[in-house]
Amino acid sequence: MSDIAISTPQAQMTRTHSAVGSLRIVQTACILVIALVIVSPLFMLLIASLKDDRFQILADMGSFRAFWVSDPTFANFAEVGNFSGELAFGRYLLNSLIILALTVGSGLIVNSMAGFVLAWGSVRGRALILSLVIALYVIPQESIIMPLVIMVSRAGMTDTFAVQIVPWIASPLYIFLFYQFFAQLPKELVEAAQIDGASIFRIYRSIFLPLSLPALATVSILMGIESWNQYLWPILVTQTDYARPIAVAIATFFGQDSIYWDRAMAASVLMMLPILALYLAFQRWFVSSFVGSAVKG
Amino acid sequence: MASVTIEQVRKQYGAVPVIQDVSIDIDDGEFVTLVGPSGCGKSTLLRMLAGLEDISGGEIRIGGRVVNDIAPKERDIAMVFQSYALYPHMTVAENMGFALKLKGQDKAAIQNRVKEAADILALGPLLDRLPRQLSGGQRQRVAMGRAIVRHPQVFLFDEPLSNLDAKLRVTMRAEIKDLHQRLKTTTVYVTHDQIEAMTMADRIVVMRGGVVEQIGRPLDLYDRPVNTFVATFIGSPAMNLFNGSIVDGRFVTDDGKALPLPPGYSGGAARTYGIRPEHLAIAESGIPVTVGVVEPTGAETHLVVKLGALDTTLVIRDRVDVRPGQSVAIAPDLAKIHLFSAQGARLN
Repeated sequence: MSDIAISTPQAQMTRTHSAVGSLRIVQTACILVIALVIVSPLFMLLIASLKDDRFQILADMGSFRAFWVSDPTFANFAEVGNFSGELAFGRYLLNSLIILALTVGSGLIVNSMAGFVLAWGSVRGRALILSLVIALYVIPQESIIMPLVIMVSRAGMTDTFAVQIVPWIASPLYIFLFYQFFAQLPKELVEAAQIDGASIFRIYRSIFLPLSLPALATVSILMGIESWNQYLWPILVTQTDYARPIAVAIATFFGQDSIYWDRAMAASVLMMLPILALYLAFQRWFVSSFVGSAVKG
Repeated sequence: MASVTIEQVRKQYGAVPVIQDVSIDIDDGEFVTLVGPSGCGKSTLLRMLAGLEDISGGEIRIGGRVVNDIAPKERDIAMVFQSYALYPHMTVAENMGFALKLKGQDKAAIQNRVKEAADILALGPLLDRLPRQLSGGQRQRVAMGRAIVRHPQVFLFDEPLSNLDAKLRVTMRAEIKDLHQRLKTTTVYVTHDQIEAMTMADRIVVMRGGVVEQIGRPLDLYDRPVNTFVATFIGSPAMNLFNGSIVDGRFVTDDGKALPLPPGYSGGAARTYGIRPEHLAIAESGIPVTVGVVEPTGAETHLVVKLGALDTTLVIRDRVDVRPGQSVAIAPDLAKIHLFSAQGARLN
């Protein structure tokens, strides 16, 4: 009797299918673990914001009880609402929203214009400017923050909204992102518009800007998150609470003598909501922008 | 409408010349096709005419006005691109009316002009659609519509049918020709397809390596090509060419096959003998050849036969019963023989 096993095409196909199936299970398990690691702190934050005993919150951390609340309450949110700092908590939220809206609004215009001109304008030394833009991007913000503080202080801009907006409008990262997006659009669009009689600004405004929704969404979200999470800069350039954002206000819950974990958690949840709304509003274009840049290479 | 004059025009990228002293006169209302292989400079010349490329030397005049340094929008031209270049976020009507909007025309005037162009091109039902909702042929018509709403002096077409399938290309070819006959607007049309050039143009400009090889009416180019390049570029299947020399009143190919000369031809400098495939016929007596390939197309039959070592093509209008490997005799139409010098220039 022969020991040779005969492998039919059907048998090979079945083995291939089962190998693919096992791979998918491993992939899904890995994705679930990663998702759990990312989501669990957020979930813990949400659960903790619904507990009204700050000592219990502290005691629960480090155990599975951190992910469970037996007697949920919104009292922390009410206390945050009645927060009695120099200003009402809502005012800090409003400050953050004003700073975010003006930074993102101006940033979209300035960075997209710069990206468009670099991509399609007749710019001498384009390659040099682009390498400078990239070089600026790799310089960490913290390394220029002290000279910047001195500059805005000399300019008499401290303790204003402007000081928290103007320095962060133009960004090498977003200029480069817009440049890349615009540069991949077909040259014929520019030429057709030129023949139609459009000026360079009109080509930007009427043709390229409406086509750049994915890039606009991506930059809006990234700039929005960056602006919303600013903590060090506002601390350095504001002396009073007049223009201070919510991130600074939350820090007041971490007092010298005691930490109000319950209120800090509720305030953090409240702080998260606007940026989450921004993400959800632009998610479709945000995702398509990333997918687009991935598949187009 | 306007005449177009291209005079001694040159274009260089650094030290590399891409257009060399090109001169073409295009009459008012004429349809001229620039044709040539890839890289011959035809699209560059068209873009120079449009103002999308600077010119390194010479002069371009549209309607008698020198436009060398005039911006594209002030040249009163309209261009149809190979990729159509429709604005993806605008509807068909917005695409067509964009140039008029930029000129500051009022809404009613724009609507009228768009409707007029849409009627000419049968685009009426598509005016509210976005380009992505249209087929290739419809997009092509919108691109033409965008050009004609402006009532320009000159239409420029840059290989507009290259992205269409073969059947649609034939239809659109007829539509563009019909459009030109109706509007009588001066048209410069770039293509690498010599059939397109032959069927559409009043005159054809054949280019190679940035130089004009020949300018003429389609049948003049076909019947009397000035050199071997034009002879083989115009016509499909291409003209048969044999290298050799004249010996004792006959043309003897390099591998020793004797071919008859036109009656009365006395020049001795001919080094290339040309005959179009349809001017060779199967005869009872003539040059003996072996049939290699038989390609019946329905209307005609293409035969590839071996004349010595060379493949020679015949186009037979009638049905013919020959098989590969069969020996037959072929004879050229003596009045249709082309003779060229060693440099490839026409001699007869």
